[in-house]
Formats: sequence, structure tokens, C-alpha cells
Amino acid sequence: MITRIMSLGRRGCDLLEALGRAGIFVAQSAVGMPSREGLLLWVRQMHFVGVLSLAIVLVSGLFIGMVLALQGYTLLVDFGAEQALGQMVALSLLRELAPVVAALLFAGRAGSALTAEIGLMKATEQLSSMEMIGVDPLRRVVAPRLWAGFVSLPLLTIGFSVVGIYGGYLVGVEWLGVFEGSYWGNMQSSVEFVGDIGNGMIKSLVFAVVVTWIAVFQGYDLIPTSEGISRATTRTVVYSSLAVLGLDFVLTAIMFGGLA
Amino acid sequence: MSDTPFVVVEDLYFSRGDTEIFRGVDLSIQRGKITAIMGPSGSGKTTLLKLIGGQLTPDSGRTLIDGEDIHRQPRRSLFAMRRRMGMLFQSGALFSDLSVFENVAFPLRVHTDLPEAMIRDLVLMKLEAVGLRGARELMPAELSGGMARRVALARAMALDPELILYDEPFVGQDPISMGVLVQLIKRLNEALGLTSIVVSHDIKETLTIADYVYVIADGKVMAHGTPKSLDVDQDPRVSQFVHGEPDGPVPFHYPAADFFTDVLDAGGRR
Amino acid sequence: MKRSKMTELGVGLFMLAGILGLVFLGLRVSGMTLQPPGDTFRLEANFANIGGLKSRARVTMAGVTVGRVSSIELDADWYDARVIMELQGDLEGRLSRDTSAAILTAGLLGEQYIGLYVGGDPETLANGDTLRDTQSAIVLEELIQQFVSNIVSE
Repeated sequence: MITRIMSLGRRGCDLLEALGRAGIFVAQSAVGMPSREGLLLWVRQMHFVGVLSLAIVLVSGLFIGMVLALQGYTLLVDFGAEQALGQMVALSLLRELAPVVAALLFAGRAGSALTAEIGLMKATEQLSSMEMIGVDPLRRVVAPRLWAGFVSLPLLTIGFSVVGIYGGYLVGVEWLGVFEGSYWGNMQSSVEFVGDIGNGMIKSLVFAVVVTWIAVFQGYDLIPTSEGISRATTRTVVYSSLAVLGLDFVLTAIMFGGLA
Repeated sequence: MSDTPFVVVEDLYFSRGDTEIFRGVDLSIQRGKITAIMGPSGSGKTTLLKLIGGQLTPDSGRTLIDGEDIHRQPRRSLFAMRRRMGMLFQSGALFSDLSVFENVAFPLRVHTDLPEAMIRDLVLMKLEAVGLRGARELMPAELSGGMARRVALARAMALDPELILYDEPFVGQDPISMGVLVQLIKRLNEALGLTSIVVSHDIKETLTIADYVYVIADGKVMAHGTPKSLDVDQDPRVSQFVHGEPDGPVPFHYPAADFFTDVLDAGGRR
Repeated sequence: MKRSKMTELGVGLFMLAGILGLVFLGLRVSGMTLQPPGDTFRLEANFANIGGLKSRARVTMAGVTVGRVSSIELDADWYDARVIMELQGDLEGRLSRDTSAAILTAGLLGEQYIGLYVGGDPETLANGDTLRDTQSAIVLEELIQQFVSNIVSE
């Protein structure tokens, strides 16, 4: 019994220690004035982290919007309320699905790649050798990736929403025959820019910080062997998915649950 | 050049987790000489290099580089001190997303504001010195292990450091590239007046180029002296290591219970 | 060098697409208008019961949206609801003093909105005036209750 409690305590200490390291890590790397050189590195990472995730995010967004319209239509048509389809599709995408699903896809596509890339650089001593050349790898390797992640995910989320709403339009209006005017009109009268789009963007920004942070830290902190890299990659996806879903509940409760 | 040693390690203690790796290591490394640090695998030689390079912090003890304690520097001056050092990593550690040319140019671009033409000249000069000027457009993945290590050496020398740390430069090399590396280290040291620290367990090669040798085992300096004096050292542990005898004071077997009882015990328990 | 130019182009397009997407969401999806917000004037109206009216609900005239409800609060003097509306600025000075307001429902179960009906008074409403003639929301439950009790009493 005592040993159980002790092992629980040890885990708690390990967890706190890891959180502390992760905090110092992100503070040291993300804070600081960007240089021209840093800007170029950031653009490069924007390409790897953002542009290359675009395809999967947009395709998923299209399908999710189409499915939402299909499911929503069959439900709403029973109440004779199929004109509300646009509002339903837009609100569920903007408030919930776009931030969350884009963050999950981002964790799987870009997050795992970031972990593996940084982990490989660590395992092949590239980070150490950078340090010995007198270049801080936190600034040179980690910071551009962090900032690229912070900026990319909100942009991807916007893309996801737009494509999803268009997908809903395709299915709802073009296929199922909902009146086009009521699709857009109901949407416009119920969606608020600050309350819905703004809060969705805040969610997405929070997820971006969390997912990128987890991915980059897992890569930087892993045990530099091939097994360590594969484990850290898995951990990145698992931890960031859990963090996204958990935080989503908290944020939703604060934003839309009347807790504020 | 004065007679004071360039690198001094005093009473160094370091542990990782619960394992003590160093229990009071003292080294003094002379300017302009090649000093070898040798010892069996797992004795923490690479860790020692990382401690000298300031990448790890010891539990206690001091490491002076040219009179300054590397572990008591703020981050900025630590990076400034590292500019005076080069380190050759075991795997070469070339940046895999940059070409050979850009790898060697990297320290120059980061630390100097030289015009592009001058960077080009310097890089080609360093690559010429390691005989790989023709390979400048290749990517690190296209190089053999020996070539990667030579490019890494060119990169380590790019800023004309005063101290070069070699981490296992001979491991996993075929005899030809091993010979090339041995020659390179020796020649560069003489030509540029560098101070070199070579960590290795390849006795024959290391002893041919080293001016002074430290042998490390069990977290301490077990013996030190010139290669000649070590060759005739009477200490059985030193002679076992230097002459490569399979069993001796450093046992062949990992510590275990008596073989006979161990076998019977396992059978009985099942 | 050429590859990095392509990268920069790709990233630039990516960010541009993101910004355009946000503009699309703002204009097309949330129906924001680019009109300067100063171009409105304020009217107040007291209702005995606002039913399910919410702030940001539409204010219409002859079915055309002419403004939005900006806030709803309890008038503690009369214990009724004071609804504050923002109307299009060009209507200022063109609505008669005896304009009436009613809370209407779009469809049987739809959202509630305010309808304005112009009267015949030659004097007109100015910024900050209060509408006197108001008609409360029809609460469906009350209607049903009345209907049922009428049947029982007959």
C-alpha cells in the first residue's frame, strides 16, 4: 500500500518536473525578437507545417460539411425546419467541429512530423552540434516551428470552416433542394462574428499553442534512439488529442455554457 | 604560447539518475597538443566531452577553458566561448537539410557578416583541407560515414577554433578512411597549432597520434602519461586495456551469481 | 534559392487564403456589413412581455430588416421590458411619433423579431425617443391555456 502511494507520488513529481521543463522550454524558445533570418526560417516551417497540411484539412472539411448537411437535413425536415440547415451547419462548424477536427488532423499530420523531425535531429546529434557551433537550437530549430504551428492552425481552421460551409451548401442546396436564400439568410441572421467566429478562432489558437507545444517538446525531450522517436511520436498524437478534446470542453463551457 | 594548460578539469563529479559516472576526475590538457582520453565503452568518455563543451553541468567540480569556468557562464558568454571550440561528433551530425557546402558555411553565416564571395572561398579552403572540395553539392545522406566525418571536421574548423574535441573519430571506419582521419587530425593539429582532445577506444590509432593519454575507468582517471610510458605500465588494468586482453581485472562477465547455482536455482523455481 | 522562392510563394498564398477565408466568414456567413457603425439611431420601446426576443434580433418594417435589437433590460419602474433598438440612420426623422412596435414570430416555432408600423402623426421620432404603442409577444402556452379554459367554461 505504502509503495503504491509512493509510486503515485513519484509519478506526480515526474509529471510536475516534465511540465516545468516544458514551460521553461517554451518560454526560452518562443520569446524574443524575430530577426530577418528567423523570419526566413519561419516561412520555411510555415510551408512544412501549414501548407503541407492544407490538403488533408480541406478535404476533411468538405466531407464533414457535406455529412453535416445530410444528417441535419434528415433531422430538420421532420420538423419542417430545413431552412435552418445553413445555420446548423455554420454554427456546428464554426463553434465546434472546425477548431477541434482541424486540431486533431493537425496533431496527426504536422505534430507527429515535428516530433519525429526534431527527435531525429536530436538522435543524430544535430542539436548538440548546433549548440557546439554556438547556435542555440531553441532559437534556430524550435522557435520557428513553434511560431509556424501557432499561426498555421488558426488559418487551417478558417479554411476548414469555409470549405465545410461550402460542402453543406453543395449537399443542402444543390442536391437536397433547400432554398438557397434561406440557407445563407438563416446562417447570416444567427451567426455572430465575435460570438461564434471569434470564439472559434480563440479555441483554435489555444489548440494551436497546445498541440505545437506538445509536439515540439516531445521531440526535444525524447530519448534519442529509434524506439524513443517512435514512442514520442505516438505520445504526441495521444497527448495532443486528449488535450484538445479536454480543453474544448472547458472552453465551450466558458464561451457558450454561460459560465463566464 | 604559455605553459599553462588550455583546459583544466578539477575534481569533477557527475551522475545521471542514480548512476555515478564520474567520481573526482582531474585532467589538464596542454596547449597545442593532442590529448587522448581512453577507456572501455560505457566509461563516460562522450559525457566527459559534453561536460568540457558545457552541454552538461557537473554535480560538482570545475572545468576551466583558458582560465574561465565554462559552467559558470551566462548563456550568452557560454555561446561565445563555444565559438572558440569545435566538436566532431561520432556520427558527424551534419545538418541533414543542408548540402555539404552549406553545412561548412553554417558557422560562418551565423557568426560572421562576411560577404558571400569570401564565405565561398573559406568553405572551399576548408573542404580542400579534408579533400572533399568536389563533394560540395552533395547532401549528407549521399555521403559515406568517413566522408561525413571529414565534412564535419571541415565544419568544426570553419571558425578556426583553438580547441577541437573529437568524439570517437575512428569508430566504424574502414582501414583506409581510418588512416585518412588519423593523418588529418595529426596534420591539422600541427598546421594550425590547435589543442585537440580525442576520445577513443581504438588504442593503436590513438596512441600513434596522441602526445598525452588519460585512461578513464570506474569514474576516475586510472592512469595518465605519454603513450610510451603507458605501453610499459605495470598496472594490470592499464596493461589489459592498452594491450587489449579479453579478461583480466576488467572482467569479461557482467557481475552475476555463481553460474552453477544460478542455473539450478532457475530450474528449481519453475 | 529557387526552391525557397517557391516556398515563400506557397506560404504567402496560404496566408492570403486564410485571410480571405476569414473575410468570407465575416461577410457571407455572419452577415456583417461594411457600413460604418455610426450610421444608426436609437429607439426604445417598453413591452409587457417580450417572450423569446433576444438581443441582435431583427427589427423590420413591412418585412424589410431595418435594424437590430441592441439590448434588453428590465424597467424596474413599471416591471416591464425595455428593448433598445438600433435603426438605420436614414430613417431618423421619417417615422411618425405614433409608430407602433409588435413582437412577431417567424413561422410557428421560428425566431422572434420586432415589426414596426408607421402611424399618421406629422411629428417624427428622433434619436433616443421611446415608442408608446407596443404589442407584446404572443406566448403560445398562454394562448393554448386560454383556448382550453374557454372550452371548459363553455
